[in-house]
Amino acid sequence: MKIDQTLPLEYSTEQNRLNILGFWIFLGAEIALFGTLFASYFTLVNRTGSGPTAAEIFEIMPVIIETVLLLISSFTIGLGIHAMRLGRKRAMLIFFGSTLLLGLSFLAVEIYDFIVYIHEGATLQTSGFTAILFTLLGTHGAHIIFGLFWGLLIMYQIIKNGLTPETTNKAFIFSLYWHFLDVIWIFIFSFVFLKGMM
Amino acid sequence: MRALFPLKQVMGLICSLTLTAAALTVYFFDLSFEAGSSVLLITAFLQAIIQLTVFMHAGEGEDKKIIYTGIYYGAFVALVTVFGSLLALVWGYY
Repeated sequence: MKIDQTLPLEYSTEQNRLNILGFWIFLGAEIALFGTLFASYFTLVNRTGSGPTAAEIFEIMPVIIETVLLLISSFTIGLGIHAMRLGRKRAMLIFFGSTLLLGLSFLAVEIYDFIVYIHEGATLQTSGFTAILFTLLGTHGAHIIFGLFWGLLIMYQIIKNGLTPETTNKAFIFSLYWHFLDVIWIFIFSFVFLKGMM
Repeated sequence: MRALFPLKQVMGLICSLTLTAAALTVYFFDLSFEAGSSVLLITAFLQAIIQLTVFMHAGEGEDKKIIYTGIYYGAFVALVTVFGSLLALVWGYY
């Protein structure tokens, strides 16, 4: 295995570079996936039938809290990667741990939101609007849940094996995934919640 | 300790939070549909650019071109899907 010392550890081998490139291509496909969900959302948003409308169920406070939590978690994982490049394993683990805790808090607020919607009579089967709302938010939330487990396993490997070309590469790819979820949330925040309450 | 908080990323967070606050004006002020939508489009895409360039280091490696091509292509497919659906199914141009 040829290791190029001039590059950050996560880019140091050919395999590592290609792993990162491959993950970017996967993210391109994820953009298209969420594009289809947003297209369905904009098509169905006014098809509320006898169920509640967007303006009736959305509340601003939980949404602001979720957005701030996710923005800060995106920041902390960025700091985690920065610490990783400095070779500061402990600092990196603390930043990754904070990221996952923020992600978990985000999820808690989102689940609270879902419970509120259901109590207000908006379930998955109520109308076209509520069906696509839960599908779009749920797909994002499922990605976050998956990310929490993924992040835990990355932390476990870093603790066990230290900062090697393999573990740093995995951690960097996980950080790309996490930032991507933040980008998707920004679009949900803007075009689902704020637009719905405008 | 200072070395762990690079200025670029701290500025990135401050910009993200500012853009979020800017987007919230559509909720707290009574803007027209066009003005509100414009604010949201601008703040959302700026936030996406901050994430890509500041936090995801999209432009730092030798694969910069392929990475950006992939992301632009994904964004193109998403925009065509969204606006194509809006044109045909909502705005009634069929």
